Amino acid sequence: MKKLIQLKINGETAEVAVEPRTTLLHVLREDLGLTGTKEGCGIGDCGACTVLLDGKPVASCLTLAVEVRDREVLTIEGLSKDGELHPLQRAFIDHFAVQCGFCTPGMILSAKALLDRNPHPVEEEVRQALSGNLCRCTGYVKIVEAVLAAAEYMQSQ
Amino acid sequence: MKESSMIGKNVPRLDALEKVTGKAKYSVDLNLPGMLHAKVLRSPFPHARIIHIDTTEAEKATGVKAVITGRDVSEEKIGFIRDRYILARDRVRFLGEAVAAVAADKVEAAEEALELIKVEYEELPGVFDAEEAMKPNPPVVIHPDLYTYALAPNPTPLYRFEPDMPNVYIHRQVLQGDPERAFRDADMVIENRFFMPSAQHAAIEPHNAIAQPEPDGGLTIWISTHQLYLFKLNLCRLLGLPSSKLRVVSLYIGGAFGGKSGLAVPAIAGLLASKSRRPVKFVLNRDEVFLDGNNREAMTLCVKDGIRKDGTLLARQMRLILDAGGYSGTTALVAKNAAFGAIGTYNVPNFKLDSYAVATNNPPTGPHRGFGSTEVVWAIESQMNMIAEKLSMDPMEIRRKNLLREGVVDSLGMVTHSIGAGECLDKISDWLGTVPATPQNEGAWRKGRGIALCNKYTIGGTDSNVFVKVHPDSTLEVRHSANEIGQGCDTVLAQMAANEFATSIDKVKIVSCDTAITPYEEATVSSRITFHAGNALLLACKDAKNQILQIASKKLEAPSDSLEIKDGVVYCQGDKAIRIVDLFSPKGFVPGGGEIMGRGVFSGPRENEDPDTGQGKRPVTYYAHGATAVEVLVNIETGEIKITRIGSCFDMGQPINPKLCEGQMEGGMGMGIGGALFEEIVFDKGLTRNASFCDYKIPSSIDFPTKENVISLIAPVLHSEGPYGAKGLGEGSLLAVAPAIAEAIYNATGVRIRDLPITKEKILKGLNLLRSSS
Ligand code: FES
Ligand code: FES
Repeated sequence: MKKLIQLKINGETAEVAVEPRTTLLHVLREDLGLTGTKEGCGIGDCGACTVLLDGKPVASCLTLAVEVRDREVLTIEGLSKDGELHPLQRAFIDHFAVQCGFCTPGMILSAKALLDRNPHPVEEEVRQALSGNLCRCTGYVKIVEAVLAAAEYMQSQ
Repeated sequence: MKESSMIGKNVPRLDALEKVTGKAKYSVDLNLPGMLHAKVLRSPFPHARIIHIDTTEAEKATGVKAVITGRDVSEEKIGFIRDRYILARDRVRFLGEAVAAVAADKVEAAEEALELIKVEYEELPGVFDAEEAMKPNPPVVIHPDLYTYALAPNPTPLYRFEPDMPNVYIHRQVLQGDPERAFRDADMVIENRFFMPSAQHAAIEPHNAIAQPEPDGGLTIWISTHQLYLFKLNLCRLLGLPSSKLRVVSLYIGGAFGGKSGLAVPAIAGLLASKSRRPVKFVLNRDEVFLDGNNREAMTLCVKDGIRKDGTLLARQMRLILDAGGYSGTTALVAKNAAFGAIGTYNVPNFKLDSYAVATNNPPTGPHRGFGSTEVVWAIESQMNMIAEKLSMDPMEIRRKNLLREGVVDSLGMVTHSIGAGECLDKISDWLGTVPATPQNEGAWRKGRGIALCNKYTIGGTDSNVFVKVHPDSTLEVRHSANEIGQGCDTVLAQMAANEFATSIDKVKIVSCDTAITPYEEATVSSRITFHAGNALLLACKDAKNQILQIASKKLEAPSDSLEIKDGVVYCQGDKAIRIVDLFSPKGFVPGGGEIMGRGVFSGPRENEDPDTGQGKRPVTYYAHGATAVEVLVNIETGEIKITRIGSCFDMGQPINPKLCEGQMEGGMGMGIGGALFEEIVFDKGLTRNASFCDYKIPSSIDFPTKENVISLIAPVLHSEGPYGAKGLGEGSLLAVAPAIAEAIYNATGVRIRDLPITKEKILKGLNLLRSSS
């Protein structure tokens, strides 16, 4: 049985009809066309589907849509404000931290959650915070560099 | 080079903005009106006869629009040896082989319908060990009709069937000099056996395709692949469509590493779309990627070397056994090309190689970053360290002593050109030597260091075609069909185009990978795009510039060789000039030619090789060379390993964008650490035991050393035929990592590992053996 629920996604309210087993990932990608959130495994192992739920990173492939009713969801599409890139997005571009880009949205959102709770992380903390987001292309070197650079930039602002 | 040069510049990636904002589109993101979803039913047995398939119930299920089985697929088969139907017909040869497919309006409906399909199997005995399978009297013959199968037209098969070994797909041989005699003359002969397990590419985007029926009876198929035109060629054959009725498109590819080379996914989507007359999307689940995602084969390698006391290599003999699995995939070709990796670094005057791709009832295998080189480099570089040790020589010295040098004929008969191996070795060992030492042995932790060399060949005889259209606003539209798989080919090609027109990167627009509008490209494989598509692009630019100069020369009344193009303006000596926009009529038309469109065709060198000895003038287009240095800490009580430092130096010829090269090296080191320490697909009588990221671990951010302990260096040795002297890089960066790590571990503990991956258990076992023998 489908149920109508309201979700707050990237600051806007969306109404969608979901079944009890529908995942947040499915709603984002299939119902709302927010395909920036990626699916790499569908079972919580890769982090490609990471979104922020009330500011905390979650695997949207393991999160049921009904669970997030009236909570704040942030996806990669909602990260830049008025065409202004988030410092993490800027740093990922400047530091060549993107290759195929399939892990990138989840990676950036995990990094944002880290910087929101710990604005001055040391490298080890960045590595820990990103350890659930698999990237097969980069060896993580430039990703870690980008996150540290973004933290430094945000501090200087 | 001119001041405006874009070459060697760290131009930001063209695709980065789209990718960090979530706007970048991958085929898996497409959602077409009326689109169905496909799922396939897979065999639960590694080897069985299919007696009967009943799909009646599934066809009636809610939401189901089409069901297909082996009866619906064409006679045409896939593989370099054409041995596999898109859906199994009378026999399944591995556990996980697709036997039926369903398209339904929802993924769940398709999955439920699969459960309604009844398949009656008669189980057959299987063989799961390549060495057992290749015996003259194996327990079972997997392809009784092997010798009647057709072969792919391209590339030329340089191998043969072995009628005495009925499960051997192919046997490839190389011979130079007289190895037997050289072994007799040698002061020392050393022989070792090595193993590299089966591995998954683990691109984060799973394999997927979407097929859409077109009004003319044809299809458009969006595919996540790195072989756009090769797929088009084969899909026409498999789907029975003429070239004009099949349009193949690729968007961004979420990683490939060789894995997205299987035709089953797009072919099944295409068949279901034709049958249902609806668009069909087919995305593999992650476990299906492990089961049928063109895994790297497991390879056993025996290496025998004859050496003089002073460390000179006199002879090398190699025997490679590849567990190709139930179908040959591209592994027949891997068995052939592995020879290139085996000869690319050292000068070995007497050389023999026998390589066998063997059929077993394990899952079929395919290309994996390195295409045979990862395996042979693992064995040869490990062996070089053991030789050095036996002769009490420095491992660096023995390598330097035996390196191929410019102008020297290699073991396949090709004259060596552009070899930066020595420079790479020097640079990376300097780095390892000068970086501040990490804490020395402490408690149970032992420190060790290791270095290894590698080479990566790029195949011969391939073609590229690039168009450059000049718009009235002087923007260069580069039309090419190289797949942007993350390596940065769009950016590299754009830099070259901007350089040729002495303009800025924002005046270049990329249009790529749509067979309806972009020209032929052989495939994004073998680290060949910078060189081949790059060369084609330079020719296309030249052609477009000529067209511009001809028109401008009339308008300026000056000979065209006195003209120069810069920033969208054609300048003449003196002060005359005309803007490109002014060459067009107000209607946007170029008098005479209509539009300015440059075409470039580049064909890589082609030379015949001797089928019995592999000898040829140009079996390989070029070699990239590199070296990796590693420092580890090993805990001798727990066997735990920490990579504390890792660096690579590569010779890719002229780097077009050094940051992108660094990205390839870092990514290769990451994949190399995974391959050295944990990656192994585990089979149990044909059953894949670890088909998930949870059970098949790939490196995460905490498996890599901190950033000051990682380095990527460049030691370019230009290639005379490369665009600006460039060669290629992508695959090579992974190859030297495993042997360097193994050497570092040996250095730390005295435990020599010959079978990858290097697990804690293997180290502890090795330490116990050492203790009991001392
Ligand atoms: S798709 Fe959700 S963790 Fe992999
Ligand atoms: S950039 Fe490709 S997976 Fe991270």
